[in-house]
Amino acid sequence: MHPERLAAIGDTTELERIRQFVEVKARSFGFSEQGIHKIALAVDEACSNLIRHSYQSDTSREFYIDIAEQDPKAFVIEISDTGTAFDPLTVPAPNLREYAAQHRKGGFGVHIIRMVMDAVEYLPADPAHPFNRLKLVKHLS
Amino acid sequence: MSKFTIEQKTHTTAEVFYLNGFLDAHTAPQLESAIAGAISEGKHKIVVNFNDLEYISSAGLGVFMVFIEEVRAEGGDIKLTAMKPKVFTVFDLLGFPMLFDITETEDEALTKFTA
Repeated sequence: MHPERLAAIGDTTELERIRQFVEVKARSFGFSEQGIHKIALAVDEACSNLIRHSYQSDTSREFYIDIAEQDPKAFVIEISDTGTAFDPLTVPAPNLREYAAQHRKGGFGVHIIRMVMDAVEYLPADPAHPFNRLKLVKHLS
Repeated sequence: MSKFTIEQKTHTTAEVFYLNGFLDAHTAPQLESAIAGAISEGKHKIVVNFNDLEYISSAGLGVFMVFIEEVRAEGGDIKLTAMKPKVFTVFDLLGFPMLFDITETEDEALTKFTA
């Protein structure tokens, strides 16, 4: 098994394990506790959306979290899934007062991801790559 | 699995929920049903004490969004208190201090209900 990859299933019980995996990797990369928290939060938000909306909590479906370490200053996390392609970057920023009036409880995750990470890239699956890939980048300052 | 527990106490001025552990997409439904239960009993003055909460994601924040208008319409509120900096950061990122009353201490939150 690749040591920089975590395989998870479509179940929210996986979130704690996912956060722990990312925290360990971010800590050994050299991030402060604050940086580690932000990275784990962004990955949690991305995986929560994936599990609940794309996989609809189907526990027979798998997705992967990979840590790429090509650049010593950039921590890159790639989340790969086989769900229907959904580009989170198309989600508009939430309006808090409107959301409260509508009793809406979702839609904040993507906003958090964009605020705490330095770069976010989404690559939908294509014939050459069977997985949708969400790439999250945080620079070590 | 994420560890999360809620303790609920009926105070003379408000219903107080004490959160402990990790509040994420897995554990948020637990909090949602606890608050829904209090509201269904006519308790609209609610304080949520975050002193022992280690982690929150947007799924946790969403729970408060569901109920805030409802309790305010009944003359109540959901006041949030005693957050660790790590937890407050998440509320702050989304601009929650603009919409919610967030206090340093539980006493402060309770006093605001009596004022």
